[in-house]
Amino acid sequence: MTPSESPQDTYAIRISKVSKKYGDYPVLKDINAQVARGEVVVICGPSGSGKSTLIRTINRLEEINSGSISFDGQNIHAPMKTRELNHLRSRIGFVFQSFNLFPHLSVVDNVSMSPVRVKGVARDVAHDQALRLLDRVGLADKANAFPGQLSGGQQQRVAIARALAMEPPVMLFDEPTSALDPEMVGEVLAVMKSLAADGMTMLCVTHEMGFARDVADRIWFIDAGQIIETATPEEFFTSPRHPRAQRFLADLRH
Amino acid sequence: MINDIIAIIRDYWLLLLIGQYPNGPLGGLANTLILSALSIALAFPLSILLALARLSKWPFLRWPVTVLVYVTRGVPLLMLILWSYFLVPLLTGADVPSFVTMLTTLVIYQAAFLSEVVRAGIVALGQGQMEAAKALGHGYFGAMRFVILPQALYNMIPSILSTFVSTIKDTTLGYVINVPDLTFAASQVNNQLLTQPFQVFLILALIYYAICWSLTHVAYRLERRITRKRAGLTGAGAAAVIAPAKIISEQL
Repeated sequence: MTPSESPQDTYAIRISKVSKKYGDYPVLKDINAQVARGEVVVICGPSGSGKSTLIRTINRLEEINSGSISFDGQNIHAPMKTRELNHLRSRIGFVFQSFNLFPHLSVVDNVSMSPVRVKGVARDVAHDQALRLLDRVGLADKANAFPGQLSGGQQQRVAIARALAMEPPVMLFDEPTSALDPEMVGEVLAVMKSLAADGMTMLCVTHEMGFARDVADRIWFIDAGQIIETATPEEFFTSPRHPRAQRFLADLRH
Repeated sequence: MINDIIAIIRDYWLLLLIGQYPNGPLGGLANTLILSALSIALAFPLSILLALARLSKWPFLRWPVTVLVYVTRGVPLLMLILWSYFLVPLLTGADVPSFVTMLTTLVIYQAAFLSEVVRAGIVALGQGQMEAAKALGHGYFGAMRFVILPQALYNMIPSILSTFVSTIKDTTLGYVINVPDLTFAASQVNNQLLTQPFQVFLILALIYYAICWSLTHVAYRLERRITRKRAGLTGAGAAAVIAPAKIISEQL
C-alpha cells in the first residue's frame, strides 16, 4: 500500500479554511467542507457564486490564497514538485462543462492516451480498457470515430470515460450538462447515476435539481463564495433553512 | 526566345545544377536545395522552442527571446546577413565560411518569424485543452507533445508553409556574400552571355517556382491526409472534408 492511500482519513476530500480572491474581489470565503468516501455531493447555487471556482481548486486548476484541500490525506495546495502534483491530479477525475476532448485523436485514443502516457500502461491493455469504458458509457460503436463527429451528449460521455480510464477514486463534474441540448442531458445524467450506484465518490456542480434529488447524498448550497447550507436532498428541497436557498428554489420553480 | 533559353540550358546546365563542383565549391541548384533544406530543418524545431520560451511564465526565459524575436523581425534580412558576414570574423577572428554565415542567419531569422506562427497556433487553442491534459495528470511537456502541438501545428500548416517557402526564396540573398547558390550561378551565366539577362533570369524564376510549388504541393497533400484522418475518413469518398485544405493554395 502506498502512503497516498492511507486509510485513516474517512474523507476523500477535506476542504479547510479555503479563501480565494481575484484581485480585491473575494470568490471563496473561508470554505470548510468534507466529502466522505463513496459520497455523492451536489454543489448548487446562483451563477457567479463560486461553485465552479471551488471545484476547480480541488484539483488545483485554480490556486487558492489560503487554507488547504486534502485529497486522500495529502494537501494538494502544499508547495510540491510538479511531478507530485501531476500524480495527484491523475487520481482525480475531472469532467468539464465544454468536454475538452482532444479533437485530433479518435474516441478510443482519447480514452487510452493518458493511461499510456501518464501511467505507463501498455498500449494494448489501455486500448482494451478504453473499449470496456466506452461500452460502459454506451459508445462502444463510436470507438473509431473522432470527437467532431459526435453529438454533445456523446462527447461528454466520452469525456467521462476518459476521466475514468485513469481509475480515479474521486470524480469531479463541473456543470457537465450545461452545454448540452435538453434532449442530451438525460444520457449523461444516466451515466453519472450508474457511477454513483457503483459507489464512486463524486462532487458535482450542476443545475439539474432532479439529479440532485435522486442521486446526491448531500447538497452544498453556495452563495457569494460561502457554503451557506449543507443538507440532504429531502431537507434541502422540502425545508431549506437559509432564506437565500429558499429564494433560489423558488426561482427554479418558475 | 525559346531557342535562346534551350541553348542556355544546354550550355550551362551543369553550372546551374552544381556550380563549379568538383573543381570548386558545390553550388547551383544543389547548394540552394541543401541550404533551403538545412534552414527549414533547423529553423522549425528552433521556432517551437522559441515559441514555448515566449509563452513561458519565467521572465528570464521569456524576455531574451521576446527581444530576439522583435529585433530579428524589425531588421531587414539583408542587413542581418551583412552584419554576420562582416562582424562575426571581426569579433571572433574566426574565418567563417559564407555558407555557414548564411545558414545561421537564415535559421535565426526564419525561426523568429515561425515562432510567432507557432505561438499563435498554441494561443488560439485556448485554455481548455491544456486544462484537460493537466487534469488527466500530464506534465507540461507531455501536454505540449501529445495534446497542444499536434493541434496547433496542424492548424498553422498554411502559415508555416508560407514561412518555409519564403525561407527558400530568401536563400537567394546569399548571393551578396558570395554563397555559390543557384542565383550566383545564374548571374555567372549572365555575366558570360551579357546580352540575354531576360532569358537567364526567366530560367532562374522558373526553377524557384518549381521548387516552391513542389513544397506547397507536398504540404497540401499532407494537410489533406490529416484532415481526412481526423474526420474519420481514412477510406474513399471524402470529398466534403477537403475544403479547409483549399486555404493553402490561396497562400501563394
